[in-house]
Amino acid sequence: MLLARVEGTVVATRKHPSLQGWRLVICQPIGASGQLEGAPQVAIDSLGAGMHQQVIISSDGLAARQAVGDDRSPVRWLVIGIVDENSPGKRI
Amino acid sequence: MKLGTVIGRVTLSRAADSLKGGRFLLVSPFSREQFAAGLNAPASMSKDHSLVVYDDLGADVKQVIGYEEGREAAQPFAQPTPVDAINTVLVDEIYYSPWRG
Repeated sequence: MLLARVEGTVVATRKHPSLQGWRLVICQPIGASGQLEGAPQVAIDSLGAGMHQQVIISSDGLAARQAVGDDRSPVRWLVIGIVDENSPGKRI
Repeated sequence: MKLGTVIGRVTLSRAADSLKGGRFLLVSPFSREQFAAGLNAPASMSKDHSLVVYDDLGADVKQVIGYEEGREAAQPFAQPTPVDAINTVLVDEIYYSPWRG
C-alpha cells in the first residue's frame, strides 16, 4: 500500500473489458511529509477521490479483481481509502 | 497501471507456445514531467528503462498506453503464460494538474 496524492484522471475508450465504467485516477506516491516518491501510478477508484486529495492505493491484484468482478482482469492498483489525517489531530 | 509511450514493436520468430500470435510493443514509461506535458510529450523525456509489453488491444507506435506490471499481467490468459507486462488501456485523454502545495 502506498500513500499518494490524486493529481489527475485518465480517459480511455479502448481498454480491457473489466475496466468498463471504472474511474482511472493518476496517483503520485508521496512520503510522510509530502515529498514525491517515484513516477505516478494509475489506479481504479470507486470512492470518488477528489483532485489533490491524499489516498491510500493498494497493489493487491486479488482484491482489485474482486472489486471489478472479473477473475481474468489484469487490474492491480486500486484506491482503498481517502486520507483524513496523516497524524492524529492533523487534518490535511 | 503505469502510462507509457509506444516507441516500437517487437516480433518473434520463435516464442513460447502460449505466446504464439501475440503482439509485443516496446514502451517507454512516462515520467512525472510527461504527465504534465500530456499525450504529445516526446518519449525522449523519460529517464526510465523501456520495456516490452504484451498487447491485445492493438496500440500503434507513438500512442500512449496504460500497462499493468507484475503477476496480474498474466491473469487474462487461460493457460499459464510467461508475461509480466500487458497493455490494458489505450489512453484518449489525460487530465493532470500537479500539486504545488
